[in-house]
Amino acid sequence: MVMKSLLNFFLIDDSAFDLFIYEKLLIKSGITDSVKTFNSARDALKYLLEQAQDFPDTIILLDLQMPDMNGFEFIDEFDSLPESLKSKIKIFMLSSTIDTRDIDKARESAYILDLLPKPLEIVYLKKKLEMIG
Amino acid sequence: MSDKSITILYIDDEEHNLHSFKASFRKQYDITITASVIEAEQILETKDFCIILADQRMPIMTGVQFFEKIRTRYPKPIRILITGHTDISAAIDAINKGEVFRFIDKPWDYKYVENAITHAYDIYKTREDLKQRNMELQKANEELDKFVYSASHDLRAPLMSVLGIVNLALIEEDVKSQNEYLELIRQSVKKLDTFIINIIDYYKNARGVPVITDISFEELVTEVQATIQYLPEYGNLKMTTDIDQKGIFKSDVMKLRIIFNNLINNAIKFQDKSKPDPFVHLTIKSTPTEAKIIVEDNGNGIKESDQDKIFRMFYRAGATNSGSGIGLYIVHEAIAKLGGRISVKSQIGQGSIFEINIPSIYK
Repeated sequence: MVMKSLLNFFLIDDSAFDLFIYEKLLIKSGITDSVKTFNSARDALKYLLEQAQDFPDTIILLDLQMPDMNGFEFIDEFDSLPESLKSKIKIFMLSSTIDTRDIDKARESAYILDLLPKPLEIVYLKKKLEMIG
Repeated sequence: MSDKSITILYIDDEEHNLHSFKASFRKQYDITITASVIEAEQILETKDFCIILADQRMPIMTGVQFFEKIRTRYPKPIRILITGHTDISAAIDAINKGEVFRFIDKPWDYKYVENAITHAYDIYKTREDLKQRNMELQKANEELDKFVYSASHDLRAPLMSVLGIVNLALIEEDVKSQNEYLELIRQSVKKLDTFIINIIDYYKNARGVPVITDISFEELVTEVQATIQYLPEYGNLKMTTDIDQKGIFKSDVMKLRIIFNNLINNAIKFQDKSKPDPFVHLTIKSTPTEAKIIVEDNGNGIKESDQDKIFRMFYRAGATNSGSGIGLYIVHEAIAKLGGRISVKSQIGQGSIFEINIPSIYK
């Protein structure tokens, strides 16, 4: 069996339900064994700012509509993080939005690799992850 | 017709025309006169006019030239030109170019001028009303847009959560976890239902016809308490009331119910579970003229920077346990419709005090 290092995941979502569901789902699917959850984008940003050089490669699943700081506002702040940190991070937006303005905005964003619809489908996520390598 | 709200600026280099005009109409209209076009421009900077009358033949510039000059900067006033017979072709040209609404022949006659002013004011008023309506409509559309955006999120998000839990449950063999998932589904469905009820409340409040009846605060509060005390999130919160109603108070019972329901529900939802004695205390003091309602709790409290925003539509102050951000907006709207006021005092970790003052409604 080839040992392949598992991916690191961050979940950022104001809904406690969704954090619970997707953390379980990600772990059950075997895609990862490390999921860190944040119920506020600001907390997640603060955490990222405190990280040292040896930050592991991480996939962020980012909700859009959240109070205080929404997904797009998080992306704006994310932009000012050091390049060495940003290069380790890949962001997917995970949202139930069907608003075309949101969809366009997510597509145009340089940091958002894709907009994944809720509920998260692991098969779909795996395919997207393969595509980005 | 006498209407002092009709403001008129009259410009004529012949002083006696100005004075005879003012003498004839000063009782009807709010009139400003000047013999100089330069002064006229200065006056325009300081005062709004409905109608501007200008003589065609003046030194420095003609009436039409004056209108051309001020038209873009002051598009609102209706422009009327006063001319002698020899200038009629200039006047017709000005009308056709849209510089003036009408011209008045010299020597003018009282009835004719009054009639011209009345018509000019009608047009002015219609345009202003239209502008006002357009602005209101634009605001309503923006609100609707925001409403649809947020409402579709709040309707869809709990449904997608349920679907997510179902997906998870399908790959779960452990029966104990299954029950946990069912509980989550229950909560999510409940959240969705609360939102739908809120939307209906909002709609009823915004569009419904108010029904004014005698209010018994005692009854109303008992009724609201009955609907909430079995909520699972009620916990060991202690609700106390102090109702002092003197005489008859008239209001819309449905709006009051919405107000009490939301405020008490919030106190339940945002109670500080780390405190040994979470409470909500409701004080009502009502006289035949007004009622003062105070809802005080020792819950989580509201950040100072959020206190002026919590009454906005879909504004959510906290990440944990927050709803859709529509509850306090509905409360605010309902109180506004009842002609009352609401204010909040709060400190994070200490609790919140909502104070409401509403007048008794006598039709």
